[in-house]
Amino acid sequence: MRNRSAGFFFAAVTLLAQSVPRTSDGKPDLQGIWMSRNAAGFDVTEIAEGHEIPYLPEALEREQKGPRVDPIAHCAMPGVPRITYMPFPFQILQRPGYVVFMYEYMHDQRIVRTTPRDHLDGIDLWLGDSVGHWEGDTLVIDVTNLRPETWLDSARHTHSEALHVVERYTRTAPDTINYEATIEDPKTYSKPWKISMPLHRITEPGFELREQECSEGDNGRAIHPPYRPAPKS
Amino acid sequence: MRPLILSVAMTAVLALPLAAQVRPPDAGFPSGPKIDPAKARAYNPPKTADGHPDLEGIWQPRSGGAAYSILPHPAGFFLGAGSESGIVEGGELPYQPWAAERIKYLTQHMELDPTGHCHYEGIPHAMYFAFQIFQTPKQIAVLHENMHAYRIIYMDGTHPKDYLAWMGDSRGHWEGNTLVVDVANNNDKSVFDMAGHFHSDALHVVERFTLVDADTMSYEATLEDPKVFTKPAKLGFPLKRAPKDYELIESGCFEGERDQAHLPEGVATLPEGHYKK
Repeated sequence: MRNRSAGFFFAAVTLLAQSVPRTSDGKPDLQGIWMSRNAAGFDVTEIAEGHEIPYLPEALEREQKGPRVDPIAHCAMPGVPRITYMPFPFQILQRPGYVVFMYEYMHDQRIVRTTPRDHLDGIDLWLGDSVGHWEGDTLVIDVTNLRPETWLDSARHTHSEALHVVERYTRTAPDTINYEATIEDPKTYSKPWKISMPLHRITEPGFELREQECSEGDNGRAIHPPYRPAPKS
Repeated sequence: MRPLILSVAMTAVLALPLAAQVRPPDAGFPSGPKIDPAKARAYNPPKTADGHPDLEGIWQPRSGGAAYSILPHPAGFFLGAGSESGIVEGGELPYQPWAAERIKYLTQHMELDPTGHCHYEGIPHAMYFAFQIFQTPKQIAVLHENMHAYRIIYMDGTHPKDYLAWMGDSRGHWEGNTLVVDVANNNDKSVFDMAGHFHSDALHVVERFTLVDADTMSYEATLEDPKVFTKPAKLGFPLKRAPKDYELIESGCFEGERDQAHLPEGVATLPEGHYKK
């Protein structure tokens, strides 16, 4: 009985592995337009393991004293992993040696090489430095060089420049990618923690990304000095 | 120069069967390296699996300071190194009289440049900056370093209705070895350069990408705007392939930009008499 169910399980896994559509270079085909359908962009604990973030006490204190305005309100890029669970679609395009992410949100983009290289030195970026590789049928992206200003959500869950994110994309059904990320930051959290969520394919025929511009009508007047000062009366 | 181009084009039309009636890239551009049309036509570029020229790679425009002004312009703080030729054929834009008045104002107020506030450049403006092409049979993605701009050129479908965008909507097709892209749905807020050369939401751009040798691509764009121009204008420049180890890197723009509003009067201007009209 036990053997038989193990056999079924093995057969099912084999079948699944075989049935994953592949690109011309034999990698799982993750291409298409995807979107998370959750509210993690507002509070990431929704998709966090145990719904908790293992903060260090000093990090909580730093967070309390830190800025109170979500950086994305000023049109800053949301960082990784937040960009993945922003409530906007994104498109994955694959070419040999590359996985390209084009996000509708703020026309953000990540060009991820799947050939190994060291992380960049001495530069920090809103969406970090992404280095990808394939582990079996899973796309693994190692992200460092992230800027300390970004938040993980609108609920002001923060991190430091020591943030290190390892993302894992696995296609588990024709229209589903399982997304997992390990979030490590020894200056903010007592231990690494995990988030996971499904990404759903947008199957509407003819669906295309549209332009989403953030700085448009944003800001200028609210957070900057007047564009052109009004004449003094 | 023009009669030569015409005769080359005519010869091409007469000599080739219908399917191969391809206009070669022009003999040269106002700025940058010259392109030999005969060599360009003879060049047989590497092809993708579906039989079209393989345009993939990182491309660096030789656009001669077009980001500052697409017309001939002097060097200066806000004008970069200057350019004696600009990138527009004939060195001027066919503005309607009201538009010729407006551009005089705009060139005195370069602080109004929307890209200074981190807006998308639009097409062709975005093309003056390095970009990487990822090519699939139905979609060609163009990702720019500057302004983290990207666009997807769809090889099928039609321009959407009731949609205006900074980068417009791009639909492409192949004419022989040339990728021809029709760009519509442009808003009236993007500009052609920092000097303020402008268009309306009637702007219609037709771009032509042609590989002319292993490391050079010709880029041409026809700008049609019946609300602003009296006739179509044309611009172009060559693109050079970046070395293999190059990577594009993130360019964030809206990082608390506060400077532009403080530019003193007079700094951000082009000299009087810069425009012929």
